[in-house]
Amino acid sequence: MPTLAQFLSQAFNGVALGSLLALIASGLSIILGTLGVLNFAHGAMFMLGSYTAFVVLGHSDSFGLALLLGALVLMIVGLATERGLIRFYYSRPKEDQILVTFGLGIMIVEAVRYLFGGLSQPVPLPSWGQGIVNLGFFLYPLYRVEVIGIVAALLLAFYLLLYRTRIGLVVRAGIEDPLMVELLGTHVRRMFMIVFTIGAMAAGIAGVIYAPLAAVIPNMGEPFLVECFVVIVIGGLGSFPGAVVGGILVGEILSLTTLFDPAYAQAAIYAAMTLVLLIRPRGLFGAMGRA
Amino acid sequence: MAGRNGRLLARWMPELAMTAALVLLPFAFGAWLGSVDLFTRILIWGIFGLGFALLFGRSGLLSFGQAAFYGTGGFVTAYLLTSGTLSSVWLALLAGIAAAAAFSLLVGFLALRRVGIYFTMITLAFGELSYFLENSPLSRFTGGENGLPGVPAPSLQLGSFVYSFSGSWPSYQLVAGFFFVGFLFARFVVLSPVGAVLTGIRQNAERTAALGHDVGAYKLAVFAIAAIFSGCAGGLLGIFQSYMPPDAFALDTSGQLVIQTVMGGAGTLIGPTVGAAIWLILRDLLQQLPAIGSLWEFVLGAVFVLLITFMPSGIVATIMRAASPFWPRRSQASVATVSSADSATRQALLAPLRLPVAPGGAPARYALEAQDVSKAYGGIHAVEGVSLALPQGTLHAIIGPNGAGKSTFLRLLKREESIDSGKILLHGVDITTADVTAAYQYGLSKSYQINQLFPLLTVRQNLRLGALARQRGRLRLDVFRAADGFPKVEALVEALSEELGLAECADVVVNTLAYGEKRRLELGLALASQPSVLLLDEPLAGLSPAERDDIKKLIRSLRKGRTILLVEHDMDAVFELAERITVLHEGSKLAEGTPKEISGDPQVREAYLGGMAP
Amino acid sequence: MSYKPPTKDRRLAKVVLPVSRRGLMKAGLGASAGLLLPRMGATALAQTKYPALGTFPAGVGDKSVFIGGVMPLTGPYSASGKDMQLGFELAVEHLNKGSRVTEQIPTLKKGNGVLGKTIQFQVADSQTKPDPAVEAATRFIRDNKAVMLTGTVNSAVSIALEKLGQREHVIVMIGNSGSNDTTGKDCQRYGFRAQPSAYMAAKALAPVLAKELGKDKKAAYLVPDYTYGHSVYDSMKQFTEQAGWKTVGQQLVPLGTSDFSSYLLNIGNSGADVFVNVAFGADATASTKQAQQFGILSKMKYVVPNISQFQAKELGAAIMGGTYGTQAWWWTEEDTYPLAKSFVEDFEKKNNYKPRWGASEVYIQMLVWADAVERAGTFYPIEVIKALEAGHKVNSIYGEVYYRGDDHQMVRPVPVMVGKKPSEMKGPEDFFQVLELVPGEQVLPPIAETGCKMPPIES
Repeated sequence: MPTLAQFLSQAFNGVALGSLLALIASGLSIILGTLGVLNFAHGAMFMLGSYTAFVVLGHSDSFGLALLLGALVLMIVGLATERGLIRFYYSRPKEDQILVTFGLGIMIVEAVRYLFGGLSQPVPLPSWGQGIVNLGFFLYPLYRVEVIGIVAALLLAFYLLLYRTRIGLVVRAGIEDPLMVELLGTHVRRMFMIVFTIGAMAAGIAGVIYAPLAAVIPNMGEPFLVECFVVIVIGGLGSFPGAVVGGILVGEILSLTTLFDPAYAQAAIYAAMTLVLLIRPRGLFGAMGRA
Repeated sequence: MAGRNGRLLARWMPELAMTAALVLLPFAFGAWLGSVDLFTRILIWGIFGLGFALLFGRSGLLSFGQAAFYGTGGFVTAYLLTSGTLSSVWLALLAGIAAAAAFSLLVGFLALRRVGIYFTMITLAFGELSYFLENSPLSRFTGGENGLPGVPAPSLQLGSFVYSFSGSWPSYQLVAGFFFVGFLFARFVVLSPVGAVLTGIRQNAERTAALGHDVGAYKLAVFAIAAIFSGCAGGLLGIFQSYMPPDAFALDTSGQLVIQTVMGGAGTLIGPTVGAAIWLILRDLLQQLPAIGSLWEFVLGAVFVLLITFMPSGIVATIMRAASPFWPRRSQASVATVSSADSATRQALLAPLRLPVAPGGAPARYALEAQDVSKAYGGIHAVEGVSLALPQGTLHAIIGPNGAGKSTFLRLLKREESIDSGKILLHGVDITTADVTAAYQYGLSKSYQINQLFPLLTVRQNLRLGALARQRGRLRLDVFRAADGFPKVEALVEALSEELGLAECADVVVNTLAYGEKRRLELGLALASQPSVLLLDEPLAGLSPAERDDIKKLIRSLRKGRTILLVEHDMDAVFELAERITVLHEGSKLAEGTPKEISGDPQVREAYLGGMAP
Repeated sequence: MSYKPPTKDRRLAKVVLPVSRRGLMKAGLGASAGLLLPRMGATALAQTKYPALGTFPAGVGDKSVFIGGVMPLTGPYSASGKDMQLGFELAVEHLNKGSRVTEQIPTLKKGNGVLGKTIQFQVADSQTKPDPAVEAATRFIRDNKAVMLTGTVNSAVSIALEKLGQREHVIVMIGNSGSNDTTGKDCQRYGFRAQPSAYMAAKALAPVLAKELGKDKKAAYLVPDYTYGHSVYDSMKQFTEQAGWKTVGQQLVPLGTSDFSSYLLNIGNSGADVFVNVAFGADATASTKQAQQFGILSKMKYVVPNISQFQAKELGAAIMGGTYGTQAWWWTEEDTYPLAKSFVEDFEKKNNYKPRWGASEVYIQMLVWADAVERAGTFYPIEVIKALEAGHKVNSIYGEVYYRGDDHQMVRPVPVMVGKKPSEMKGPEDFFQVLELVPGEQVLPPIAETGCKMPPIES
C-alpha cells in the first residue's frame, strides 16, 4: 500500500504531467473541432518546438527568447502546412485529412533526424528553473513547479483568446456549426488558417517548455500524440475546457497507476478512453454532433 | 462483348488476370528485384490489405488498429507451433485465424457502437492495448519484445509424396495460394448482396438501415472478415520468416497498412497489394542509394503525401480510369424476366406483400394507428399526444405550419426515433419499440423529404438495395450469391424503374440525374420493399408543375391495396389526393376531417391557411 | 525447438517447378545449382571439397564475398547505429586494403581481403525493430548470398538474427547485445557475441563499486521492463549483494516511457544511497536528466551498469561526472593497447570524432571472423565455426581475445570506469577514466549457469 507521502507526490506529479498534456491537447482539440482534421502531425510539431529551444539555447541564455522563437517557428510551420497542404483537403473525406497529416508527420520527423542526427540533444534548464523545492511531503524539481505555472498562464491566455475575443467567438461558433458561421458571412477559410496556426503554436510552445525535461530526439513526439488523442476523447472533441480537464485527468491516471503497477499505466489510459467512448462518446465537455 | 459467354468472361476476368499475374510476375521481375521473397512479402501485405479494402474501401470504416488481429493470428499460430501444442501447421494457422476472428468480434462489438473519428480512435486504442498485452502480461506466451522464433513451415502430404513449403519458391507458392483464395473470396463478397449492402452503408448508412438491412450486424460481419484476412496474413508472416515479430502489433503496422492501401487505392481489392509493392520496393531501393540512405522514410513520406494529394482514389483506380477507353465495357443488362410489359403486370409485381396479421387471426381494424404519441427534445415538445387511425387503403394527409412536428411525427412512425410515450400499431401489431429496420420488414416504408439516395450507385443498384431486404431479411451472409442473382428482385427492380419512368436511365449513376428524376427514385426506394403502409414526406418538394402531376398520378396509382400517409405543403395536391386530413400545430392535433371540413375550419385557417376564405 | 533443415525438400522443389536457371538458383538449391552460376570460377570449384551449406559456396565469388550489416539508421537507436556503420565500414576498408591494425595480425597481414577476396557490403536499416531486421537479413542471405551478417543493436533483434542465421546456416556476429540470453538460453551455433553479457559486466563492476563506494550500501534500481533490463538487474543484484550491498527498491519502467518522474519519486523515497539505472539509449539520457532535476544525483551515488555509446556526450560531464559503470570499450584504452590507438586514429581521421563501443564491437568482430576464415582456409561455415570455437587468441584492439567455444561469448576485458568531472577532462571527448580493465576470464559465467545448449554443429 502506498503511503500518503507517495500518494501526494504522485498526485502532484500528475498535475505537472497533465498540464503539459493539456496545452498540447488544447491545440489538437481546437483544430479537430474547427477544421474536423485529426492532426497526426501534432506530435512532430511539438518536437519542432523542442528543437527550436535547443538551437536558440545553444546561442543565447534567454529562455524567453526560446519561447518566442518557438512560437514563431511553429506559426510559420502551421501557416505553411495549412495553406500549402491541408486546405486542399477540406472537401475531401475525413480519412484523407488524417492520412495526409500522418504522412506529413513522418516527413517532419525524418527531416529533423537528417538535419540534427539521432542523438539526444541537450537542452539546459533555465537559470531560474534549477534546483529543488521542498513541498512538505516530498522534494520536487523547481522547474516542474514553474512549468505548472507557465502552462497555467498560457492556458489562461488561450482561454481569453477563445472566450473574450471576436476571433475566439467565431472559432467557438465554428466548432459548433461551421455551416452556419459561413452563412453568416465569416470568411471560414481564414478562420481555419488561424485555428490551425494557433493549434500548432500551442504544441510548439509546449515543446519548448518540455525540452529541458527529457531527451530531445526526433521521435519524441510520438508518445505525446497518442496520449493527446486519449485526452481529447475523454475531455470532448473540440472542447477547450475538456482538453484541460482531460489532460490533468490523464496525467493523474498515468502517475497514480505507477503507484500500483507501472506496467499498466499505458493500458489504463486506453481503457479509460474506451470507457468514455462507449458510455459518453462526446466526452466530459464535448458538444454532441461531431461524429 | 454480348451474350452469356461475354458476361461470364467479364465476371471472371479479374480472377484470370490475377492467376496470370501471380504466376508470371515473379518470373518477369524476380531477376531484376533480386529474389522472389519480396513478392512473398508483398502478397502477405496483400492478404492483410484485402480485408482492409473490404473494411475501409467498401464499407468506409477506417480502422487504425488492424495490427491487433494481424498480431493475434500470427502469435496464436506461432505459439501453438513453437510450444509443441500442435504439430500441424495448417491447423495452427486455422486456430490463429479463428482467434483473430473471435478477438475482432469483441473489439467490433465495442468499437462499432460509434462512427467516424470515434470509431477510428477506439480501434487505435485497441491496437495499442494489444501491443501492450503482447509485451507485458502475455509475454510468457509471446516472447515479449523478442517475439517467437522457430516457427516451422507447413508441408503437404499426399501418400508418400511430401512437399515442404520452406525455402523461397515454396514459400511464395504457399502465400500466393492463400492470396488467390483470399482474392476469390473477397471478389465473391464484393459481388454479393453483402457487398451491395456494405457499399450502401458507406454511402448512406441511415438509408440502408431504413431499407431493412441490419447495418450494425453487417458492419460487425465485415469487421470480422477483415480480421480473418489479417489473422491469416499474420500467421503466414511467422511461417514465412520462421519468426513472429512483436512489432506485428505496433501502431506502425496498422499505419503502414493504411498508407499502402490509400496509395494503391482503397476502392479496389488489389490497391493495397500495389501499395505494398510500391512501399517495399522503394524502401529497399532507396536505402541503397548513397544520396538517400537513411532519408528513405522521408522520401517515402513525401511520395505518400504527393500520391494522396494528386491521386486520391489511388494508383490502381487512376490507372484503370486512364485505361478505361481500352477496356471492353461490361454489359450492364440484368436478367429481366419481365419485358417492358404492360401496366397490369407491373402492378401485380409491385403489389404490397401479404399483410402481417394481428394476434388472434382477424385482420386489424386500422392499417396504422398512433395512440397518444409524444416526443420531447429537452424542453421542446415536438410531438404532444397525437393520435391517428388510418383504415386500410386510405390516403391520409398531415398538414401544418413549419415546426408543427409533422416530420418528427413521421420519423416516430417509421421508428427512426424512440417514442417518449404512446403506442404505435401496424396492422394491429405493436411496433412501439421496434427499430427502423424491423419496421421495414413489417411492411412500413417512408420516402424522405430530402433525397436519401446512394449517390455513387446506379438507379438499378439503388432500387436493388431497397428490394433485397424483403427477400433476404435483416441479415444474411450470402457471400457466394451474386447481388443481381435474385430473379424476383430483378423483376421487381425492372418493373419499378419502368413504373417510375426511370427505365432509360436505369444504369446511370444517381448523382448525375436531374432533381426530378432523383425525387422519383426517392419514391421508388420507398416502394421497393412492397410496403403495405407508405409514409410520404413532402414528395412534391422542389418539383415543377409537370413533374408534380406525374407524381400525383403515381401516388394515386399506388393506392390500390396500400395505406398512404402524406405530409405536404402543396395544398392543392393535398386537397386533391387526401380522403382525410389531420392538421398539426405546435406538436398537437389542431383539427381532423375531410378536406371540405378542414378548409372550412376557422382555427385551421387562422393558423395555417392564411385566414382567408378558400 | 530445433530446426529441421529442409535439404531433402529443396531438391523436390527443383523437380516440381519448371523454372529458368535463375529461378533454380533463387530456390536456394545446393551445389548443382551453384555450379550453373556464371560468376563462379575455379576457386569455388576447388572449394567443393566441402558440401554446399547455407550461402556456401554460392556466396564465394571469384573476387569477392558479401557481408550484410543490419543496423538501426532510423528510430530511437539511430545514433548508435550510425556509429556501428562507421566502424563496419572502417573494418572493411582495413581488411580490403590493409592497415596498421591488420598488419599486426599474422593471418591478416597481407591486407588483400579475406582469403584473397574483396569484401563487398551493404548496410540495411533495422529501424530498431526485429521485423525489418529479419527482412533485411533474409534478403542479404537469399539475394546477396552473404557469407556473414553483422551489426544489430538491442537484444531482441540480435536473438532474432542469430536464430535466422542458425536456420539458414550463415554466421551472425552480434556486436551490441547485453542480454544474458543471447549466449544463454537462446544461444545458437551460428551466433557469436562480442559485447560482455550483463553477467560479465555486473561481475566486473560490483567489486569495483564495493571498493570505491563501500560495502554497506543500499541500492535502488530503475529497470526497463524487458528481457535485457531484467537480465542486467538480476546480474547486478546477484553480484552487489555478494559484495555486501542491499537492494531496497526496483522500479520497473515500461518501454517507451519518456517521463520517469513517477518512478524517480519512488526511488527518491526509497532510502537508498546508490541509484542504479539500467535504462539504455534515449531512455537513459532522459531518466538521468530527470534524476538530476529531482535531486537524486546529488544525494545518491550514480551507477549505470551498461553506459550507452553517446550518453556522456548527450548529458555532459557536469551530470555524468562521478558516475560509475561499464561500457564494452572506451577509447582511452588506446593507452593500453597499441592496436586500439591505430584504430582510434584512423576512425577519427575519417569521421571527426572518437569511436564508441558500437563501432569498436563491429570492428573487432570483423577482424576476429576474418582471422578465423583465414585459419580455416575456407568460407565453409562449419569449418569457420570450428576455427572460431578453437579458442585461438587473436591480437586485437582489446588485446588478446577469443570466443569461448561452449557459448560463443567473446572473452575480452570489461572496462570499469567512472565519469570525469568537467575540470578533469583533458579534451572534449575525455568523459571517462577507466579504473580497471577486468580480464574476461575472471567474469565469465560458468557454462552450467548460462542455460546454453548449443545445437550440434551439423544441424
